[in-house]
Amino acid sequence: METEVITEDIINLVIARLKTIPENARLSVGNSEQMQVADIIDQVRNQTEIGKQVIETQLFFLRSLSNLPS
Amino acid sequence: MYLLVTRPKHDSVTHYLYYWAGLLVDEAKKKGLRVIDLEKTKATKKKLESYLKKQQPDTLIFNGHGSPDCITGHNNETLIEANGNAEILKDKVVYMRSCESGKVLGPISIKHGAKAFIGYDEPYQFWTQEDAIREPLKDPLAKPFLTTSNQIGISLIKGKTPKEAHADSVAVYKKEIARLLQSDAENTFLVMALMWNMQHQVCLAQK
Repeated sequence: METEVITEDIINLVIARLKTIPENARLSVGNSEQMQVADIIDQVRNQTEIGKQVIETQLFFLRSLSNLPS
Repeated sequence: MYLLVTRPKHDSVTHYLYYWAGLLVDEAKKKGLRVIDLEKTKATKKKLESYLKKQQPDTLIFNGHGSPDCITGHNNETLIEANGNAEILKDKVVYMRSCESGKVLGPISIKHGAKAFIGYDEPYQFWTQEDAIREPLKDPLAKPFLTTSNQIGISLIKGKTPKEAHADSVAVYKKEIARLLQSDAENTFLVMALMWNMQHQVCLAQK
């Protein structure tokens, strides 16, 4: 995973996007159990390994917007 | 083809992989292929090594938790480790549906003579729906993730090469992503993790 400075703006952007996900969705990533959106948001806020993974996934998507399949 | 599949089922993640890998076992049997199904508690290092030594399947599909240098089975027991027993993958075509094993274990297995290795060089992610855990095959959130990764196994079972199987999977990823990006599509948020998995799916092979 790329190492980059995670600013407060990036964290807020990622959290805003996560808040649009249905509450009954669960994410499996890494070796963790399935997580609720609220738990994922906590992980992002606290910048845990999983939180950083979620941030990286969101940023990867945003950077890829110009190359999306259509 | 002689196929070996590991599919433990000891937590919520492996619960999903267990059922979706079961479709590959069914498909292979339907095609008349020989299949060793190391399901649930059978997904142990001892059984794996024993089957590889005595029966010599040529294609291995692993499902479970992983890390850059290992793949695990039942109760997260290490089945194959980069600096341990990776030589048992010699002459095999390998697909690991797990986190990160494409980072170190993949290249090491090729060094030890594996014919090909398909896996992920970053954490593999998928979404599920809370009320669908009893029927993982019908989970609308999990389906795009496990259909795209299952395509690798389906293509291998059809006799395609590892590179073709990888390409077939990427094609299904692109189709799913395009479908989810349509203006009337539900669950567009799935696209992010799908793109992540697609980008980090690696196919390594002997030169």
